[in-house]
Amino acid sequence: MSVHRIGLRLCLALSWIALGATAAIAEDCKSKIPDGDLIKAGSLTMSTNPTLPPLQFVDSAGTLKGMRIELGAEIAKRLCLKADYIKIEFDAMIPGLQGGRWDMIDTGIFFTPARVKLMYMIPYENQAISISLANKDKDKITKVEDLAGKTIGVEIGGFEEAKTKALDGELKAKGLAGLTIRTFDTFAVAYQALKAGQVDAVTSIDGVAKEYQDRGDFTRAISGLYPAPVALAFKNKELAEAVKSVLDDMKKDGSFDKLFASYGVPAYTEPFAVHGPDM
Amino acid sequence: MQGWSGSGFLEYLGNPYLLGGALATLWLTAASISIGLALGLVIALAQRSKSKVISIIASGYVWLFRGTPLLVQLIVIYTGLPQFGVRLSVIESALLGLSLNEAAYLAEIIRSGLLAVPVGQVNAAKALGMRDRQIMRFVVVPQALRIIVPPLGNSVNGLLKTTSITSVISMEELLRRTQELIQERFLVMELFAVAGLYYLAMTTAWDFVQRAIERRFGRAYERAPTAPDQR
Repeated sequence: MSVHRIGLRLCLALSWIALGATAAIAEDCKSKIPDGDLIKAGSLTMSTNPTLPPLQFVDSAGTLKGMRIELGAEIAKRLCLKADYIKIEFDAMIPGLQGGRWDMIDTGIFFTPARVKLMYMIPYENQAISISLANKDKDKITKVEDLAGKTIGVEIGGFEEAKTKALDGELKAKGLAGLTIRTFDTFAVAYQALKAGQVDAVTSIDGVAKEYQDRGDFTRAISGLYPAPVALAFKNKELAEAVKSVLDDMKKDGSFDKLFASYGVPAYTEPFAVHGPDM
Repeated sequence: MQGWSGSGFLEYLGNPYLLGGALATLWLTAASISIGLALGLVIALAQRSKSKVISIIASGYVWLFRGTPLLVQLIVIYTGLPQFGVRLSVIESALLGLSLNEAAYLAEIIRSGLLAVPVGQVNAAKALGMRDRQIMRFVVVPQALRIIVPPLGNSVNGLLKTTSITSVISMEELLRRTQELIQERFLVMELFAVAGLYYLAMTTAWDFVQRAIERRFGRAYERAPTAPDQR
């Protein structure tokens, strides 16, 4: 009985301490985002597909890392929210956002007119498409026309896949053989297939192709194709506006450009703006 | 809220690209079950072999393929084997992965069917002067088949849906094509409803086939429903 009571007291005391601690944090930093605008109160839930080093990847200890992850974490911090990441394949990104699974897509989703009809988007980074090859093939493909008749691997559902299809159309329009396009769930499997010689090339974004070239794994044969801005995406307009002002602050105090520079990604120079179905 | 798009659903229901995916699922299932069944029979018989080496190899096969995920087997076959100079195409890899995996499960089903025939019957057949092959052909196999058919049908049904895993190595079957089309207009529920209907149509059709097969192998037991119990 008495042991019971001591235990109870201890629990109470501990919970008071815990409550006090949370209250202290809350006093320091009170989020302006109403809980109703978030999937999980107190957290900014973000989706990412961590198969794109150095922008978004998982290190050997299983920790999420990369430029976009750091950006998402900094945004959450400045909004006084806890950064929560959901690791998920790209083809689930937009359906999941619409279905209320996460607040923000932080996976470098390309900004396109079709997508802006579906959600709120803030362009913040410029990317273009590259063609990666196995190192032994590096002299075989040096221009787009050399890709005629080749088999290309790409992640399903993304801008990269759309542009690979566009490339196929362009080759055919020139009277050349088209591409055989193989879609994979992630870039990880696509690059594995390239390593195994199952595909002749992989289309990915410049930053990723460069990273793999720097590591010595693959050769970046062609780069800078179809340049386009990359965006953060939201279902909730108010949240999008709040993130936009965080990005403005980060730009002003130099932390935004510093982050991009540390990853060798050219700084985004346009002013930030929210685009969406009604704007 | 986007709501349900009836016109989108109907449009995709007749989509030839999706139908092609369903056909791919169908033939992949048929081919894998055929190869798997042949291989499974060999393995089940090998497990009963009097030679220790052969039965250990056969059991080792079943242990390996039932003990690792099919997803891993597929990725290893498609992107791992080329490291040793064996490069199979997407279709070959999918077919090989499914068949090898299925064979391990089917071997166990066949083995259990063979084990279910009482030893006394084999002994009786021997006493009648039948040879080993005759015992198999006329005594063991007909009785084992009747036991094997229901779980075998279950395997076909399971395999029909398991083929969707091959999408991971870019096999263009029903699921992969569904996912590809979802990216067009993001009619998620509509497209998965169509895919679900296709899968249901295929599994339902198989149900009828299975019932017919079961009746065929159960004939001997249906003929004398009122036979006196003389066991």
